[in-house]
Amino acid sequence: MSESTQPDPDQSNIHHVIAADDISDGERIIVDITGREIAVFHSNGEFYALSNYCTHQGGPACEGLLSGTLDVDGDDELAWACDDEIVACPWHGWEFDITDGTHTASDDYRLPTYDVHILDGELYVEL
Amino acid sequence: MSSITDQQIRSIDDLEVIIDTDFHLTERQEDIFPYLESPFDELLNSQQGDDYGYLGRVYPAHGMVYSVTIGKADSETVRTKEDIQKGRDLVEWDKAIITPTQNLYLGAVHHDDLAAALATAYNNWLLDEILDPENGLYGAAIVAPQKPQKAAEEVERRANEDGIAAVMIPSGSVDPLLGHESYYPLYDACERAGLPIKMHNAAGTMMTRFPSTWQAMNRALPVHATSHNMMHQTNLADMLTRGVPERFPDLNFVIQESGLGWYPYFMRRFDHDYMGAKWDAPMLDKRPSEYLKDQFYVTSQPVEGLDDPQYLTETIRHFEGGDSLMFSSDYPHFDFDNTGELLKMLRSEFTSEEIQNIYGKTAERVYAFD
Repeated sequence: MSESTQPDPDQSNIHHVIAADDISDGERIIVDITGREIAVFHSNGEFYALSNYCTHQGGPACEGLLSGTLDVDGDDELAWACDDEIVACPWHGWEFDITDGTHTASDDYRLPTYDVHILDGELYVEL
Repeated sequence: MSSITDQQIRSIDDLEVIIDTDFHLTERQEDIFPYLESPFDELLNSQQGDDYGYLGRVYPAHGMVYSVTIGKADSETVRTKEDIQKGRDLVEWDKAIITPTQNLYLGAVHHDDLAAALATAYNNWLLDEILDPENGLYGAAIVAPQKPQKAAEEVERRANEDGIAAVMIPSGSVDPLLGHESYYPLYDACERAGLPIKMHNAAGTMMTRFPSTWQAMNRALPVHATSHNMMHQTNLADMLTRGVPERFPDLNFVIQESGLGWYPYFMRRFDHDYMGAKWDAPMLDKRPSEYLKDQFYVTSQPVEGLDDPQYLTETIRHFEGGDSLMFSSDYPHFDFDNTGELLKMLRSEFTSEEIQNIYGKTAERVYAFD
């Protein structure tokens, strides 16, 4: 997210989505922007926009469970991590980090991400 | 002709027919219990008693935590024809052989007669509520391996029913193994009915019978041909999941005496599962196959496929054996490999450097000769 920048809403690559207040923390909205299905998440106080098309087999990646994941701590003990920042594609359970689109296990399957702007309380996605 | 035909198939829309040979129901006990026949109908459908929330489950549960059980993957409910249509719209088949889920565990049901009764009840339900051959919905009649004679009778009862296109043995927990003569009446019934037998395991049941399976393999051939690679696969899977190569990054392992083809298969199978279950192996920082390529080595004997050079050379390529395969003879065991046999296959495909590696240079690096 880049709230600091002030995009010109009239630019053709900036698309209005919704009023920022209309997505509560922990929720998401999935919109069609010029034929692309894009999910906008509000998580831990930040907004993130990602493609809803799973780079694995084309499933609706951003429609699955938003939670965290199991990781290991400094002592190699199991620990819960990235709470509310991991979305799991409902087709095969592939996990993606919504903050940067990366797959938790591989750099080969990243979900495209898009910049999010907030201008006068309105949320825009930049393609 | 064939090449012209091949060129025309650019997408699934160009296929003459799509038949999905394993499309699952997600049936529940309560779906099939009403179809139980006497005496288990009276016994189990009394609506009396208290099962403390779990005793009423007649199918053993493994209790493992999967991506589906924690909500990271959705598994659609498929208990009606309408549910089937939803999956059909996604998979786009013309016909399907419909198979169970809960009843993949049928072979692990402790009560043998109940297991046979559950097979009958499932088939009753399947025929009454699910199958619709005019609409492409075919099914496999299931049988309980615990009661082979009743299984044969079940096949005879269902053989001429519209929509029954196969028989399924829930094969994951059979005891004895499927070569035992007790199953011959079942095989005879299926053969006479012209029904192929589907063998389908459930991941949670397979190892429940391993000690008795070992005992049941009362000849040397099946033990020797399967146990080496099975044991290596289970050990490697456990070591990778718990992060052994990550915890001991300077430690190498050598996998011996199990042949080669299973190894590149295992690399890809494990990677495939890992991609949807990273949370289950959080110690790992790279793909499981990468740890295998970096810290694991394989010795050659007993090399399978020496009469099939293309198979063997491609197999070795598939696990980058030029860097990780090491010659071994196994002398004086009865299945030892003579030194030149593998070389005949390697010469046509591998570089001199790779062959030198396989026959000794890699071993010089792996073992502590100094």
